[in-house]
Amino acid sequence: MMLDYANVQTPAYRLNDDLAKPSYISTVHRFSLDDTEEENAVLEKLGSRGWGRVHYFRSHFDIGWGENGNGKTLSPRAYDAFLRFVQVAQFPAGIVPSVFLTDGGGIELSWEDQDGHPVQIEFQRDGAEYFLGATQTEGFSDYQKIDGLVHALET
Amino acid sequence: MLVAPEENIVRAVCSDKWDGQRLSPSLFTGERTSVSRLSMIPLIDHWDMFRKYVQKPPERTLERIAEINVGVLQEAGLVHSKTELTVEASPLDWNRAHAEIPQKITRGLANAILSKLKLHESPGSS
Repeated sequence: MMLDYANVQTPAYRLNDDLAKPSYISTVHRFSLDDTEEENAVLEKLGSRGWGRVHYFRSHFDIGWGENGNGKTLSPRAYDAFLRFVQVAQFPAGIVPSVFLTDGGGIELSWEDQDGHPVQIEFQRDGAEYFLGATQTEGFSDYQKIDGLVHALET
Repeated sequence: MLVAPEENIVRAVCSDKWDGQRLSPSLFTGERTSVSRLSMIPLIDHWDMFRKYVQKPPERTLERIAEINVGVLQEAGLVHSKTELTVEASPLDWNRAHAEIPQKITRGLANAILSKLKLHESPGSS
């Protein structure tokens, strides 16, 4: 099956069977709810699937996850930058970005621009790595320049 | 030992890298990317092997297996950024077909590779 972004049906978020059971797992981390405004922004812009995945990454990925045991837990600084970005970013109409956890403990957003070219930004501990498929541009921006990056990714 | 361009290789895609709609390029970014050779273990057997040794529920569950021809991978590297990608056999105790792509793959190159992948669903899945 070749990946066809244009025609893939987006399933509603479905909780993994293990997560649906009462949590007797010692590695589950309980977080208090974030600021309501932040939670609402994540839910509004990333949908229930994205919102669920964000909490899944925060709650169930201990250090050493991953195929070689090299995975790092989600960086608090990366997560904070991610929340700030989601609150201010404007995604193309009808586009709901995907969210991923990277092995280095970063959190990544991926979507397409209005012409279907991929746009990605990975929030890491010390800054954000980005990719613009339309121009094949990739780079790294520290968080002091995040506002400029928001604008660059939207245009 | 270098894996020949004629061979096809696969990589496990778990829930941290696939959300049902999109694939994360971080599946391939970085150095020493692990892959597995279909010439040594058929695709059908990779499912059980990856479920046993790669996935770790509830953290990460095996969602797809991504396949690419080594020659196509190498061409992608040359066309995108003149990067000479190699695949080197590196058998493991649990996977005799294990191999690695030792070179650093950038995000841009990873995106180019993603466009060449063939994604397999688990046999019998709806």
